[in-house]
Amino acid sequence: MDHSSPTIENVFGIGWLDFNLSNIIMTFVASLIVFIIAVIGSRNLQRKPTGFQNFMEWIVDFVKGMISSTMDWKTGRRFLPLGLTLLMYIFIANILGIMFMVVYDGELWWKSPTADPGVTLTLAVMVVALTHYYGVRLKGTKGYIKEFFSPIPILFPLKIIEEFANTLTLGMRLYGNIYAGEVLLTLLVGFMATGAMETVAGVVPALLWQGFKLFISGIQAFIFVMLTMVYMSHKVSEDH
Amino acid sequence: MSGALAAAIAVGLAALGAGVGNGLIVSRTVEGISRQPELRGALQTTMFIGVALVEAVPIIAVVIAFMVM
Repeated sequence: MDHSSPTIENVFGIGWLDFNLSNIIMTFVASLIVFIIAVIGSRNLQRKPTGFQNFMEWIVDFVKGMISSTMDWKTGRRFLPLGLTLLMYIFIANILGIMFMVVYDGELWWKSPTADPGVTLTLAVMVVALTHYYGVRLKGTKGYIKEFFSPIPILFPLKIIEEFANTLTLGMRLYGNIYAGEVLLTLLVGFMATGAMETVAGVVPALLWQGFKLFISGIQAFIFVMLTMVYMSHKVSEDH
Repeated sequence: MSGALAAAIAVGLAALGAGVGNGLIVSRTVEGISRQPELRGALQTTMFIGVALVEAVPIIAVVIAFMVM
């Protein structure tokens, strides 16, 4: 909690360009794990799925159900890879910080990449930008602009504000949940490190909180993808 | 010192409100499911979207709390 992040400041002599090395490493680790899972799950596809392929098909069906609950499958089909990637990536990124955290030289190196607002807000901005892109692509520029004035024109300022509020809350929700979880976990571990009696007393709460954080990680990944699809369906589908 | 107190009050009240709101959402969802168990999936999806929207409020409160602290 009270450790700093390994930041390189003023890269190439540009004043505002900072890199958080821990974020970069952890996003890379999360991407690598997701890549490995996806490759193992989709090699040797068989008509009668066994083992890991069953798991992969379950995830795909899960995302499929999420998409078809917000829009019709004909338009929603193209968002299946997006939803699948987001779900797996965010879930893996969330649970990376549960098992352990590595603090070296007062700097926090191993954590959840989603416990940093930069990463989550980047994801949120990417998702909202994609909704605008698909809104223009599937409904045409005219239909896209008409959507902003759709029920009555006086709602136009609210619709503009809504876009920014969506982006902000989508990113901050994920960040807030994961960061709060890590802060509490750090507090518990710090309490356990103070003595032998405290270690015994702190084991059960720490285990309970780790289990609950696993649940929160899944729920937050689900909610992120679900809201992505809801925002997408607002822009893409003809009638709502 | 007073900044920390203000932050604590802001976060606490926001958590209180969000807790009441989430409780209402989940209780109504449970009622709906017990009335019509076949609508379980759709109701749960709607519930999660509602819970996520309510949760934005305490998160904004936390941001404000960090600002006043």
